[in-house]
Amino acid sequence: MPKPSDLLQGTLDLLILKTIVRKPLHGWGIAKRIQTLSGDTLSVGQGSLYPALHRLENQGWICSEWEESDLGRPAKVYSVTPQGRKQLERELKSWNRLSSAVHLLIQNA
Amino acid sequence: MRAIRILRRRLHCLFHGSHADAELQREIEIHIQQLTNEAIAEGMTEAEARAMALREFGPVDRIKEKCRDTRRVSRIQDFVQDLRYGVRMLRQSPAFTAIAVITLALGIGANTAIFSIVDAVLLRSLPYRDPNQLVLMFNVPLNRPDALSGISYRDFTECLAQNGAFSQIAGNAFHDLTLTGAGEPAIVNTADVTPEIFPLLDAKPLLGRALLPEDGKPGAAAVAVLSEDLWRSRFGSNPGLIGQSIALDMRSFTVAGILPASFRYPEGAPHQDVWISIMQDPLFGPLASKPGVRVMGLIGRLNPGVSLAKAQAEMNTLGARFAKEFPAEDSGFTIQVQPYREAVVGNLRPALLILLSAVGLLLSIACANIANLLLSKATSRGREIAVRIALGASRARIVRQLLTESALLGLLGGVAGLLLAAWAVRSLRPFLPAEVVQIGSIHVGGPVPAFALLLSLAAALAFGLAPALLATPSNLQSNLKEGGDRTGQRGGQRVRSFLAIAEISLAMVLLVAGGLLIRSFALVTSVNPGFDPNNVTEAEVSLPQFQYSTPQQWRAFADELLERLHAQPGLQDSALAVPLPMDRQGQPAFAFTIVGNPPLPPGKSTTADYATVSPGYFHTMRIPLLRGRFFSYQDSPSQPNVAIISETLARRYFPNQDPIGKQMRFGFPPNGDTPREIVGVVGDVRDAALSKEPGPMMYVPFAQAPLYGGEVVVRNSLSASGVAAAIRQAVRSIDKDLPVTGIAPFRDSLGQSTSRERFRTFLLATFSAIALALAAVGVFGVISYSASERTHEIGIRMALGAQRRDVLHLILGQGAKLALLGLGIGAVLSILLTRFLASLLYSVSATDPLTFAAVAIVLLGVAAAACYIPARRAMKVDPMAALRYQ
Repeated sequence: MPKPSDLLQGTLDLLILKTIVRKPLHGWGIAKRIQTLSGDTLSVGQGSLYPALHRLENQGWICSEWEESDLGRPAKVYSVTPQGRKQLERELKSWNRLSSAVHLLIQNA
Repeated sequence: MRAIRILRRRLHCLFHGSHADAELQREIEIHIQQLTNEAIAEGMTEAEARAMALREFGPVDRIKEKCRDTRRVSRIQDFVQDLRYGVRMLRQSPAFTAIAVITLALGIGANTAIFSIVDAVLLRSLPYRDPNQLVLMFNVPLNRPDALSGISYRDFTECLAQNGAFSQIAGNAFHDLTLTGAGEPAIVNTADVTPEIFPLLDAKPLLGRALLPEDGKPGAAAVAVLSEDLWRSRFGSNPGLIGQSIALDMRSFTVAGILPASFRYPEGAPHQDVWISIMQDPLFGPLASKPGVRVMGLIGRLNPGVSLAKAQAEMNTLGARFAKEFPAEDSGFTIQVQPYREAVVGNLRPALLILLSAVGLLLSIACANIANLLLSKATSRGREIAVRIALGASRARIVRQLLTESALLGLLGGVAGLLLAAWAVRSLRPFLPAEVVQIGSIHVGGPVPAFALLLSLAAALAFGLAPALLATPSNLQSNLKEGGDRTGQRGGQRVRSFLAIAEISLAMVLLVAGGLLIRSFALVTSVNPGFDPNNVTEAEVSLPQFQYSTPQQWRAFADELLERLHAQPGLQDSALAVPLPMDRQGQPAFAFTIVGNPPLPPGKSTTADYATVSPGYFHTMRIPLLRGRFFSYQDSPSQPNVAIISETLARRYFPNQDPIGKQMRFGFPPNGDTPREIVGVVGDVRDAALSKEPGPMMYVPFAQAPLYGGEVVVRNSLSASGVAAAIRQAVRSIDKDLPVTGIAPFRDSLGQSTSRERFRTFLLATFSAIALALAAVGVFGVISYSASERTHEIGIRMALGAQRRDVLHLILGQGAKLALLGLGIGAVLSILLTRFLASLLYSVSATDPLTFAAVAIVLLGVAAAACYIPARRAMKVDPMAALRYQ
């Protein structure tokens, strides 16, 4: 059973991986996209975004490349590695399990 | 695959750290730029937008530090960086570095030096196969288990035939023989053995063969095995020596083989030059056939898996059987088994362990001192550390950095200590007690450097951890606000005081130990030995027993020698004796009975030390006559046998009676039953060692109990070399083939007999002096730091009317509090610990109040002196300046 802090961190990892799994993005783009896709409910602080990106990259789940970008200059663009995809699947599964459990609990309690 | 990518990335980061940092900077810059752009789009000015973006992004440096922390490689990188930083810090404050390194070098050096002795003596295994299987066996009286003696040849053969616990048993005895015919006549240390000893010890000859079982039989041809040293020094390494004959005590022996220099036996005793069968020894050979003469020591090798207890049980049974079968010789005796290692190093262990503990304490004091220095330094670095923490460095990171600095310091100190130890061991070697040197080569090698390295790292952790933790307080704000110089001030001062108290109390323990040993040594050396050793020269003359084989010849030689000595000017006051005081190397005491007393119950015996002396002996040695008369030249073999006894013997065995005219039966074997009339009582003599209370002694005239040679003592004021030449000349004029050995002032023998005491006293005194100096530096550091911290307070006090004297009292009072607390704790610790010293002390109690008081006074004095300088400085504080400054 993961501890609460692990859950939070794990959630951010999940969000990042999910955001860039189809389309590689730079940091700014990831933050924006999480915000828009969640209907402005979730906002990722830069204070945790960049350390999380670096951590994921160090774990080999995402990799980065400096590419021309929509920002008008080269930006560091992150994409998911094959290991990252597997990790994403694992995280999705555990998230689904958790959220349905929480849902059930709220419904029936 | 993944592993490789991660590795590649980490390597990349390691080598391109600055590159990665630049990338991170650029990445963050882009983000902030985007935030700014958004804000501008919402209508802000560029400056407002930028400020707002930075606010929204958050603490850039902290985020960067966090990102960097995710690179695992940063551990190594940090370490390299910390190391560089550490070197820079140490170079920036050379005075601090020098003091810390010297302090540490003293601590590590002392530990390493002592450890090298411990390694050689206690840890390194003895140079034999399965040394733990080796045991020695002795006959001991049932009622006196500490009175070890040898075992008779008859009992040895019985042991061989009847034991089950041992794979091999061999006998050995040691004797000096005279080697002639190969250059100057020389005394050679000879091991008289039974041939079983060679397979038992796995001795493989370098050339020829060792002794074979048939060489050990009575009546076999006389063969000898030589040591490689003797073969090289005396016979020019001539391989043709095998099969040739050499002369030992004027009798010819065929050389059978050469033993390599690597073979040494026994450990912790002089090197043996010649090995012969005990049957061939001129002295022990004839004695071996007498069942009552305990002529040999026994060494045995236990069968694999046999415990010492089992062997002892078997020997108990055997001893009981001997007592029943041979009651005349063996009743009242049993056989004791002792591990060989125990016999070699057992008596050295307590002193070594005490020295090891002493240097451990010394290192603790050194660590406390350095911790104190580091604390003061870390405090002045408080601001730097606070800024780094504010910029996002984690506490663990800072602690790690400070510990790296300590480790660096520790290693520097360790290397310096190792050098110091190597130097100390080399220069102390001549002063090491002989039995320590003979056990194994003592040098700073093998496991010793590793020990020093580990010790210095452990020390670094010990002195670095507290300062590092205190330097990184949890409350950041106050640090920055106060300008950093109050970092952990409360805690710091408390820790500093604690360290100073610890130093004083540990120093007290060492000083008490040193003081007790010094006092005990002073008592030993100033003890009245019962004779006057000044201006006495001794020399040893040993007669080859095949040439001088009869007591008549021995007596004639002694008479001739003394006559020639007395004829020379300045040598009139000379005599002959066997043995001299301090030269009683394991010479057993002889049993005696008093004629007319009821017979002793079986198993009980009365014993006394025995010496045979020429008439002038008591006068030459200045041993006082208490009753009766000295020996005279009239006490010849044709006259009734006489004896002189010592005061203790007279008091103990002739209580309330006059011993003069009474008769005792005793004598050198085989004359153990000769009745002798007591003609005199002389003063007690410290005979075995200065630290041993004199025991009962009995003397006989040399003419009535001659031996094959003896020790010459000459009292005069000539130069030692003049006396030596005169003695040599007198001996040569009788027989040019006789060697004279061991010519030395008698004082030297006395010095030898206390060399162990002197050595350990010297070491412990040195350690406690260093401890005292370190503790003084520690107290000085704490008090002067605290005084400078209190400058402001002192300024206010003086402004409010405090006198200089009050300031002096304030500072000295603080020091006195530390010192008294330290002394109190130290006294308790000392009382608890000095009992382990008790076995090394001579007529001083382990809690000797005089020593405790003296040490307390010295420590208080030193502490007061250490406080006085900072107190003087505090007295000179100008109140105005002090107030303005803050």
